Amino acid sequence: MKRSKHLTAILLVMILTVTSLFAGCGKKNTTDTSADATTSEATTTEPTQAATQTETASQDAAGVAASLPREETLYFAGQQWGAINDYNPFSSNSNNWWIEQNDDARVMVYETLFMYNQNDGKLYGLLATDYEQSDDGVFTIHLNKDAHWSDGTTVTAEDVVYTFDAHKRLETNQSSMWTYIDSVEASDASTVVITPNKENYNPLKILEVLPKLYIVNKAQMSQLEADNGNDKDKIKTAKNENLIASGPYKPYYDDETKVVVIRDDNYWGQADSMWGKLPVPKYLAHNIYIDNNAGAVAFEQGEVDMSQQFMSEVWKMWEDDKPVSTYLDESPYYECVSLPSAIFNVTKSGLDQVAVRKALAMATDYEQIATTAMSGYTPLMSDSPPALMNPTDTERALIDEAQLKDLQWQGKQVDEAKALLDEAGIKDTDGDGYREYKGKKIEFTVQCPSGWTDWNSALEMVAAAGQAIGLDVTTLWTTAAEWTTNYLTGNFDVIMYTYAGASISNPWTRCFQTMHSTPAKDGENASWNYGRYNNPEADKIIDEIPTVTEEAKLKELYTKLNKIYLTDLPCFALMYRPGLFHTVNESVWTGFPQADDGSNVPPTVLTDGYGIAGLYNLTLAAK
Amino acid sequence: MKYQLQLVFKSQKFVTGFVIFAAVFLLILFYPLLVTKNPLEMTGGLFYKPGTYVSVTDAVDTQSYKINKDVVTGKLTKSVTAEEQQLMRDWLLNYCPEVKPEEVSDAKKAYDIIELWLQYYDKTVEMEGATKAVKNQYVRLYDKVENILESEGYIVSRKNAETGEMEEVAAIETKEFVNVKDIPNRVTFPLGTDNFGRDVLTELVAATRTSLKIGLLAGTVATAIGLTLGLLAGYVGGMIDNVITFITNMFTVIPSFIILILIASGLGQAGRGAMLVAVVIGFTSWPWTCRSVRAQTISLRNRDHVNLSKLSGHSLPRIVLTDILPYVASYVVMAYILQIASGILSEAQLSMIGLGPSTNKVATLGLMMNWAMQFQAPLSGAWWAFIPVVLSIAMISFSLNLMNTGLDQVFNPQLRE
Repeated sequence: MKRSKHLTAILLVMILTVTSLFAGCGKKNTTDTSADATTSEATTTEPTQAATQTETASQDAAGVAASLPREETLYFAGQQWGAINDYNPFSSNSNNWWIEQNDDARVMVYETLFMYNQNDGKLYGLLATDYEQSDDGVFTIHLNKDAHWSDGTTVTAEDVVYTFDAHKRLETNQSSMWTYIDSVEASDASTVVITPNKENYNPLKILEVLPKLYIVNKAQMSQLEADNGNDKDKIKTAKNENLIASGPYKPYYDDETKVVVIRDDNYWGQADSMWGKLPVPKYLAHNIYIDNNAGAVAFEQGEVDMSQQFMSEVWKMWEDDKPVSTYLDESPYYECVSLPSAIFNVTKSGLDQVAVRKALAMATDYEQIATTAMSGYTPLMSDSPPALMNPTDTERALIDEAQLKDLQWQGKQVDEAKALLDEAGIKDTDGDGYREYKGKKIEFTVQCPSGWTDWNSALEMVAAAGQAIGLDVTTLWTTAAEWTTNYLTGNFDVIMYTYAGASISNPWTRCFQTMHSTPAKDGENASWNYGRYNNPEADKIIDEIPTVTEEAKLKELYTKLNKIYLTDLPCFALMYRPGLFHTVNESVWTGFPQADDGSNVPPTVLTDGYGIAGLYNLTLAAK
Repeated sequence: MKYQLQLVFKSQKFVTGFVIFAAVFLLILFYPLLVTKNPLEMTGGLFYKPGTYVSVTDAVDTQSYKINKDVVTGKLTKSVTAEEQQLMRDWLLNYCPEVKPEEVSDAKKAYDIIELWLQYYDKTVEMEGATKAVKNQYVRLYDKVENILESEGYIVSRKNAETGEMEEVAAIETKEFVNVKDIPNRVTFPLGTDNFGRDVLTELVAATRTSLKIGLLAGTVATAIGLTLGLLAGYVGGMIDNVITFITNMFTVIPSFIILILIASGLGQAGRGAMLVAVVIGFTSWPWTCRSVRAQTISLRNRDHVNLSKLSGHSLPRIVLTDILPYVASYVVMAYILQIASGILSEAQLSMIGLGPSTNKVATLGLMMNWAMQFQAPLSGAWWAFIPVVLSIAMISFSLNLMNTGLDQVFNPQLRE
């Protein structure tokens, strides 16, 4: 009996050793075949006819994607978490790295008419060369005649018109642009005319669409519509595998660990009217990491070239002699364009009191948030005092800071905040250390998604400030999905959210989103102003701004609006935040855009808006 | 009782565990008396390293002493490493258009090479083929060593609020020293600061205290439930035994940590105070206590003294309390100790995945770990933010487990020597 046990044990150990040996060898084999895989890839790019061949092609793609040639691949991190849902620009939830239709659209696969550059606040031509606006407000857009789709056919004005109409017909997330647009027509094959809605005249809202909306191929997308029986919901959730786009890259492979796009060597942008060349990396690959930490470790090791993740104390990396750099060499390291804010639900008892809102804003320690939660990646509030404007010079020039001075808070003013509450009659009457309003203890939560490190930590400090002035504030972490539902439906006390950052229509869009009253009722989805703040005077100013062109008048209106913001506090900014944490590791590639290199390429991680221009300047780093 | 205690304290393992535990306990008892500041106060900045911080302006104002020491060499050895000197050599040899190679090879000492590099270095020189990271490295190095060879000292001036002119406040020689004890504004962070800028040591003591409380509460709840159900099931038997065993088995089959996660996330952050978390932990970790108490009770049920009690018509509670409980008590005490240890660990695990109590009200060991991880302390080398925490968790559970093993040796007839 004992003997047999002994034997089994020995057998088990042997099996384990052998299998582990095999596993080790197996790994070696796969790495060795990487060279073969790249050569076989060349054959798969040739046109395939039969369905079976497509099958093998996708298998090959998986093989190649598993071991992309390092010197031809630019690796990204921090822009995609989880597997892709679809390739559909009409979808509201693509969760797709290369589909991002916001103010600064991601233009590797699909392209927009123009690209926005946050460095100078200008639009640069992509599918279009230029636009003009006539005196009656009509926009005329000239398309680039060289532009063609990945199947070789020309991008025409018909495609543009189809795109605009389709968004309206399908009621997509972008369809709200039609509030401001009367019609989009093709006056010839390469000219598009956009007529604004006279009743809702807002040129900013039309301009905003140009760098945002992906132009789609009419033939292919109308086929997609037909295939889905012209059913709106089906079309909007269709996968759209056989897409035809115009960008420099084509989808190549994706699963739950990575997303890869491959360069289209037939890209129209090689024409001299556009870039005059192809982007340098053959593959762009986005690794999907389980969390920030995993991404940061991979980045530090040089497995990722371009990171958009928040990594605290990034300078420690170069102090450790890692070839890492940020867009700016010195603090704040990144360009801060957005204002993550704590939004008050002004319909809640207690929070409907301006004194409570203002006291919390005054007691919060912004310097501590800036230096610890934000790791110093933000200008201090003492340098850019609270306002609706981001800290860039262009936006700050729109307000008269001297007029706002008395209304602005400095932060960490615990005693003043207490005095303010006492004055408003909001006192602690039952001696439990917390103040009451209408006989009820003031307690509320401040929420944001869990794992958003810098936000979590900033809200901890807001909660601490609340506790210090006798408000029972606690933090609440939710999932990202819950958080989205909560801010849309108004199911929160205080929620952290970022309204629009930098775009062609900002700061107006931000002001609109922050302060303009919303028609949404209690429990309904609001599209802006999640705190349900309502002030007719602010509405009037916001409605007036887009039509004003005179600078002095504009400044007067913005200053007035900022005064209302600082007096009423529908929300308060906790920090200034970079749009993207543009951090590069130069182990493999070099030539990334930098603040002082004269290339005027913005720090939008080589994918968003005019930032893609950086892909054309890369070179391999010398070994 | 007295005899048993004597026996227990003869066990070396128990005594070691007890001493460690007592030390931790005394620390959390007396430290707050000595250091009265609020453990959650954010005084410092992001991961300041351990040490004493003195006010720089105070240092200027404090009385100075002249000390004959070669400060330049002192600074050189501390600030310019061998790698940095190599970097300077590389720059001179690879990128500098003017310097002669002999000059570089002649400069042997640190002082010479730094002097030579400072003389030639120019950030506008195009560094052919070098990455931005390398270029930045040189710019930073220059900023760091720019004044290092100077022995002239500094002049400190202040802007006059009225005239706007600069007025000289003090002239500082390089050989001037101040006694650290003289400086009025000093802050000591014996274990540095965490990501919020809190003093880690003070926070750690407060956190250990909370975690111990959580462990005690969780252990008490778990033992109370386990003991009651186990005694009932074991002694009464029949239908009640079946039902209780069924429930216990169900809880045993589903990993308790999963139930814990479900309950904790169901409660939501707002409802999760530290003590509630403790109760939740207690409610999910009782099954094994229950199972073993039941097993022991069954073996006791038919002993003669129990049967005698039954014949004498004693009530069920009385039989259970006087005839059964004393015989399982030693085991229950050991189980209780283990439950405390596992309660502390469970809190740490829960907090690590973000399901612990709210940070702004209490500090717990798990929360400290969670924040250190979120702010990538291991990556940026801020060991002080997590190693002391890990050590205190290890110390507490180690001492408790040691005490348990010691007790086991005393009470378990099979292990008794």
